[in-house]
Amino acid sequence: MVDVLNVASETTATPRSSTLKRALSQPATVFGVILVAAHLFLALFSPLIAPHDSSALVGAPLLRPSWEFLMGTDQIGRDYFSRIIEGGRIALLVSFCGVAIALAVGTILGVLAGYVGGRFDEIIMRFVDAMMSIPEIILIAILTLALGKDIWALIPVVAAVYCWGVVRVMRAKTISLSTLDFVRAAELRGETRLAIILREILPNLTGLLGVELAVRVSSAVLRISALSFLGLGISQPTPDWGLMVQEAMGVVFTDPWFLLLPAVMLSTLIIGVNFMVDGFARAFGIASTEL
Amino acid sequence: MPAHPHIEVRDLKLVYRTGPKTETTAIDAVSFSIAKGETLGIVGESGCGKSSLARAFLAYTRPGARIAGGSLSVAGLDVLKLKPDQLLAYRGRRAAMVPQNPLSSLTPHLTIGQHLVELIRLHKAAGGRTPKEKALELLAAMELPDPAAIYDRYPHQLSGGQRQRVVIAAALVAEPELIILDEPTTALDKTVESQVLDLVARLQKRTGTTLIYVSHDLNVIARMCERVFVMKDGKVLEDGPTSAVFTHPRTDYARSLIAAIPKLETAKPSNVTPFHGQGAALSIEKLEFSYARPPGWNPLRRLFPNAPQPPTLADISLAIPPGTTLGVVGESGSGKSTLAALVAGLAAGNGGEMRFDGQILSGLAPQRDRDLRRRVQMIFQDPASSLNPQHTVEQLIARPLQIFFGMSRAAARERTVELLTELGLGATFLDRSPRQLSGGQQQRVAIARAFAGKPDLVLCDEVTSALDVTVQASVLGVMKRLQREHGTTYLFISHDLPVVAEMSDQILVLEKGRVRDYGDTTAVLSDPSSDYTKNLLAAFATASQQLTNRTMKHAS
Repeated sequence: MVDVLNVASETTATPRSSTLKRALSQPATVFGVILVAAHLFLALFSPLIAPHDSSALVGAPLLRPSWEFLMGTDQIGRDYFSRIIEGGRIALLVSFCGVAIALAVGTILGVLAGYVGGRFDEIIMRFVDAMMSIPEIILIAILTLALGKDIWALIPVVAAVYCWGVVRVMRAKTISLSTLDFVRAAELRGETRLAIILREILPNLTGLLGVELAVRVSSAVLRISALSFLGLGISQPTPDWGLMVQEAMGVVFTDPWFLLLPAVMLSTLIIGVNFMVDGFARAFGIASTEL
Repeated sequence: MPAHPHIEVRDLKLVYRTGPKTETTAIDAVSFSIAKGETLGIVGESGCGKSSLARAFLAYTRPGARIAGGSLSVAGLDVLKLKPDQLLAYRGRRAAMVPQNPLSSLTPHLTIGQHLVELIRLHKAAGGRTPKEKALELLAAMELPDPAAIYDRYPHQLSGGQRQRVVIAAALVAEPELIILDEPTTALDKTVESQVLDLVARLQKRTGTTLIYVSHDLNVIARMCERVFVMKDGKVLEDGPTSAVFTHPRTDYARSLIAAIPKLETAKPSNVTPFHGQGAALSIEKLEFSYARPPGWNPLRRLFPNAPQPPTLADISLAIPPGTTLGVVGESGSGKSTLAALVAGLAAGNGGEMRFDGQILSGLAPQRDRDLRRRVQMIFQDPASSLNPQHTVEQLIARPLQIFFGMSRAAARERTVELLTELGLGATFLDRSPRQLSGGQQQRVAIARAFAGKPDLVLCDEVTSALDVTVQASVLGVMKRLQREHGTTYLFISHDLPVVAEMSDQILVLEKGRVRDYGDTTAVLSDPSSDYTKNLLAAFATASQQLTNRTMKHAS
């Protein structure tokens, strides 16, 4: 009987641990991971490394770089090096908290809309469409006016901006998962809708959630910098790259590094996140069209 | 065999990059030659390197693959050393390929005519006529009805068989000396496949083209090819006349491959007396099903009135005695999966009555009581889709045990090991995730999950169509054993008539949602009452007939 022919020796696919290895075998991914790690390190520990208080006036304005002021001082005499390394801290923290809320709310709404479907889906999605049709900057302006110009008030603003995109992504992924037979099998077992969502669908969204988190946090940092530049985000004397770009506008032709350095900090963060996410998503088999 | 070889392959080696410094060999130093006008079949299971070899004839490799050595020449031309512009002239003009999926090889926004005319212009193949005349001529040669109408249609407006004919026409534009067909009929229904194969055979006879035919279906190869390669792990294990290889395989692998082909002759003589529904495990009476209205208002429906409609069922009646198998055969769209969905409770019928063990089956699965859900289980076509990739084998099988029997974790684990052992897998598989299993192992896990509930009726929806033949044979063997040991009743759905014949006591033939034939397996196979069943039988019979003919020729 062929019954037991070679069952145990049939080829097996790659286990998980090697997926990580495969991701890190790409130089671009490693580069991304290093950039992100460096930014995270700065965000967490920069106040301990910073040689000076970043918001205090410690010297004469516009000093050239020296051993005391590694990058010189800014227009009003604050240590520029301390401000540069601390400039992403608040923005990253606010982005992370805001995006985390957006992901939680967006995933709940998206999965419910995608799995339950019907009228429920219709109502949620039309509301999402309505929210997404409001120009972002107007939405932000209204929310900032309503919530006040406090750093922590930026968290719900970020959440409100990013939530709707998450709903769409999670709904789409849920719909494609719902067509798979393991959901049919669960329905045939008589599992409740909640059990199906928690046991069958959510575990398959974790990869996508990781990707969404990284991409949207990096995008939110950029957005907050833009807000700070416009005067709606983080305000003086807290150091922030967007704010620093704005301060640099007056001296851009005489001292261009005031513009370049914060811009470089922002770009390295965003490039790093993108390279890292791209590499991991590919290694874990998440199609780039889902990003 | 003519003296001078037409195609000469020497020590061809092709490798795939699997990591920054690691490579696996897909084709391992293969050498052979093919005479002009010969028809060569390449068989082997998925991953044996047959498609990679076929592509190499066009000097094409899949992304990540690299030719690591050896040479390949067609009519004295060293194909692997051609420069890009020479390659363009070679591909399509000297050698052409017919790919597997005709829909993905045609551009959706171009008409059939535009596809062909572009190729005719590119290869300057009109031969004095206008490109349109040449294209119409090709379509007519493909025996397509009304070539002029087909010329103006878009790919989505054609049936699968018509599309495949168009793709073959495209390959023939420049009358190449070598045509490679890579599983050209795998996506087609059996009767359509049969027609397409006949067409290719006639064209080959007329033009004397060299044909290389790649397929996992040995019946197709037996029908089409004089010579056959059996490939495994990138090596050609056997090479010889089809009849010789098929009757006297020299290697164990080829033997198991050939033994695994289900043949219509192996249909087991049924000892079931005519059955009229008394004490049936499942009886269905005049079942009706149709979608009340298309889901949502769809303006596209007006633009595409020919778009396929979801299958409906009408007037289905059947009765399965306990412990036996009813095979349901039909082509795609015949409604056979819908039938399983209705019995399982994934959809609700519009009329008629279903009884399971005397009890009326109605409503959707969530409304049925737990014991009923436990007793009726379903095994799905594609285990990659029916097993949640985030769960381990233990979680997959233990879940129904916990739900249906309220088992504790430890008890469920113990029972899971028992079930795995019963399916030839064992406790080492408990912590694996489905993606670490082969297709055959995955389907065994799916079967174990279905049997976890100690079901009385198992609905099997194309359970082996995603598997290779030898794996299919072993899975079918397991299912028969389980049926013997547990007295389970099967509703066994497949498009593959020989498989159904092998498994079933009774056969029901469905076409467009209607029963065309229903009765004991032997009765339906030996004396079909509808023309539809006769055609279906003929399509399978020619393949195995061809094999017998070749065998006899060889013997004499």
